[in-house]
Amino acid sequence: MAQAGTLEIQHLSKSYAVKEGDLAVLEDVTLHIAPGEFVSIVGTSGCGKSTLLRLIVGLEDQYQGQVLLDGQRIVGTSLQRGIVFQEHRLFPWLTVEGNIELGLLNAPGTPAQKREAVREHIALVGLQGFEKSYPHQLSGGMAQRVAIARALVSKPDILLLDEPFGALDAMTRAYLQQELHRVWQAEGITMILVTHDVEEAVYLGDKVVVMEPRPGRVRRIVPVDLAHPRARGEADFAAVKQKVLDEFSHDSASLAEAPLKADPGAVPQLPAALWQFAI
Amino acid sequence: MAHSSGTLPAAASVPARSNSGPARSAYSAFFGRWAGTWLALPFPLGLLLLWGVSAHYGWVAPQVLPSPQAVLTTFIDLAQSGELWDNLWISLLRVLAGFGVGVVGGLLLGVAMGLSPLFKDYTYPFFKAFSQVPVLGWLPLLMLLVGIDEALKIILIAKAALVPIAVNTYKGIENVPSRYVEVARVLQFSRWQLLWRVVFPAALPPVWNGVRYGFTHAWLALVVVELLASSEGLGYMIVFGRQLFQLDVVIAAVAVVGVVGYLGDQLLARIEVILLGWRRSGF
Amino acid sequence: MIPYFSKTRHQRDRHPVPPFLRGWVLPIALVLLWWLAARLHWSDSPLLVPPGKVWDTAVQQVASGELVRALAASLRRDLIGLAIGVSAGLVFGIAFGLSRLFEKMIGPTFHTLKQISLFAWIPLLSVWFGLGDAAKVAFLSLAAFFPVVLNTFEGIRSVPGELIEAARVLKFTRRQWLTKLVLPAAAPSILAGIHLALVYAWLATLGAEYLLVSGQGIGNTMIDGRELFLMDLVIFGVIVVGLVGFALNWLAARLERRLLAWRGRSVAQF
Repeated sequence: MAQAGTLEIQHLSKSYAVKEGDLAVLEDVTLHIAPGEFVSIVGTSGCGKSTLLRLIVGLEDQYQGQVLLDGQRIVGTSLQRGIVFQEHRLFPWLTVEGNIELGLLNAPGTPAQKREAVREHIALVGLQGFEKSYPHQLSGGMAQRVAIARALVSKPDILLLDEPFGALDAMTRAYLQQELHRVWQAEGITMILVTHDVEEAVYLGDKVVVMEPRPGRVRRIVPVDLAHPRARGEADFAAVKQKVLDEFSHDSASLAEAPLKADPGAVPQLPAALWQFAI
Repeated sequence: MAHSSGTLPAAASVPARSNSGPARSAYSAFFGRWAGTWLALPFPLGLLLLWGVSAHYGWVAPQVLPSPQAVLTTFIDLAQSGELWDNLWISLLRVLAGFGVGVVGGLLLGVAMGLSPLFKDYTYPFFKAFSQVPVLGWLPLLMLLVGIDEALKIILIAKAALVPIAVNTYKGIENVPSRYVEVARVLQFSRWQLLWRVVFPAALPPVWNGVRYGFTHAWLALVVVELLASSEGLGYMIVFGRQLFQLDVVIAAVAVVGVVGYLGDQLLARIEVILLGWRRSGF
Repeated sequence: MIPYFSKTRHQRDRHPVPPFLRGWVLPIALVLLWWLAARLHWSDSPLLVPPGKVWDTAVQQVASGELVRALAASLRRDLIGLAIGVSAGLVFGIAFGLSRLFEKMIGPTFHTLKQISLFAWIPLLSVWFGLGDAAKVAFLSLAAFFPVVLNTFEGIRSVPGELIEAARVLKFTRRQWLTKLVLPAAAPSILAGIHLALVYAWLATLGAEYLLVSGQGIGNTMIDGRELFLMDLVIFGVIVVGLVGFALNWLAARLERRLLAWRGRSVAQF
């Protein structure tokens, strides 16, 4: 059983410097996430949900406020906080096995232990038989499963998922939501899922954090007190879903998507300059 | 079936507008699977025929256009006497030496420019200016500096290969998608791990492309330099034959030049398939 | 925390030399070294000419009109060869692209001939066309011909299937097919081919002047310089050749950007 972490986000704020001044992307976000909890975060584009995730995983810095994992302030990236992106980001030159092994490259353990862990996780995501396949041979759903295995193989305290199923078709999405749920129950680690699909958020989460944009804030936290497994068609499911959707229909203008212009809340392209060796 | 040899065939063979591009033409259907080979033959055979006939009837002087038989006999003679192989071997050694130097230099330079923006700031402008002068532009200068033996040839061939390799390597490294680098950051890769497990594999396609270009340019440089300043090698054979108006020797040597250039590139292409087999659906 | 991941541009710019000057350090240092070597007579060779001499020669060449004559001769040949090679290349390329039959019949021969390293053609051409300008122009045409054919062919063949289907639905006539779909779609490749032709033709111009020595041209200037051990003339020639090469590249890139503005991002050719 993996470690389950407690995540404390206290008064988190972040802004980007742009030509017209400072653009606030996140404003005073406070969240408490209990160990082993599954938290869904929903919001339209521009509400900073991806930025929030990137701050937690350590890919972004320079923020005000605190993010504490098990009482410790987080600094940079760490194997204790895993992430699954919207694109699978598997290395095309490695097989499925090779890609999952990367998750353990810098983790302690003997090679035999690592091999076993890789095998375990391939089984966990249901991809036995595909160990030697290359990413281009896999479907989108399968590739995402490999990405999930890669993120979990080092047994992190917390797993972050940034719209992991957004690029997949509806049927695959539904299937993978089920799979993710099964994995969560099996591993018991804390998971934070960012999505724009309300149904997905309600299906998977113990609570749904609704965010609103400009600047990104927490609007409301909707608890989901339904037993697992959840039936999407049932009345009580629909009720919770409607409750979340209602958050969007009030004040629809303020929650609506931002007009088309450069969106700093979107995943920033890391300029090559930042990772090239400075000599 | 027309033996047309250069005139644009009539409308029938232009894919009819009602077909999409890769439609099978009536001719392919007629000849079946071997359509490709069948169709390729008439034109070159026709040319060969024309050549043979003109030599036979002496339409052109034999010094200007030897008969096909003469070329063939000469080719066999050269092969049997070993003269062909000796010269070929010398040319191959030269090009390998120069190409080798060019590859190593190009890779080192490209990697340095790609990984260190500071190094690139200092060296790229000068490098770019330097490479505006084509290989041949350097020839007289180098001749003055190092004379006309091996050093000249190796340097020129190396320079010819180095430029495309350095540029492609540099750009390849610069364009490593940052989404892979982010994964490496999350997975706590050290500097070396980032280099060997992400940067180099990701940059390999453009780098290998550069290597192939480099070889083509190296072969080109070899031929020129041997034509101009050599006493052995395939280029020398060509020049010597030309001076003695032995065009059969010239044609034989030219043919070998073509074959070697082709085989060299094919070899690199095969290696590419091995190294980059994972790339099937693109990046 | 691994330091290099967090090095910012700000930190890098604390380096003493500002960015816009960095590119100049190396060339200036080299010229200085050269000047010093000449001044201090590090070598007795007549080849060690001081930078000043090169400048003097340059001025003299320009003033006496030598440079203009030589360049004009070279460029004239270059442009004629380009014109012939590019037009022939376009015709062949389009023919290959549009006609499967033509491609199957002439293609293999063409691809075989294309393998022959360019300069190997010169001796043959010199026999068939003599040693003067005719042979040089023929060679230049050949140099320009191959890249244009290949790229044009490639461009036409890679017109996306979706656009072809759209054209079918819109009932394009043969003419519209060519002018409104195929040629615009193939334009990027065709222009890339012409760019390559420019580069190769310039290379070939020089080579032709070395190998077919009669006549005038910038290559000839350099050969003369070499034979008379006039290092300054040779260096001057190198600089001129580089500048012309740069200008041709720049021109081609400008042309591409202009004509292909619809593509969004220009393809930066090295």
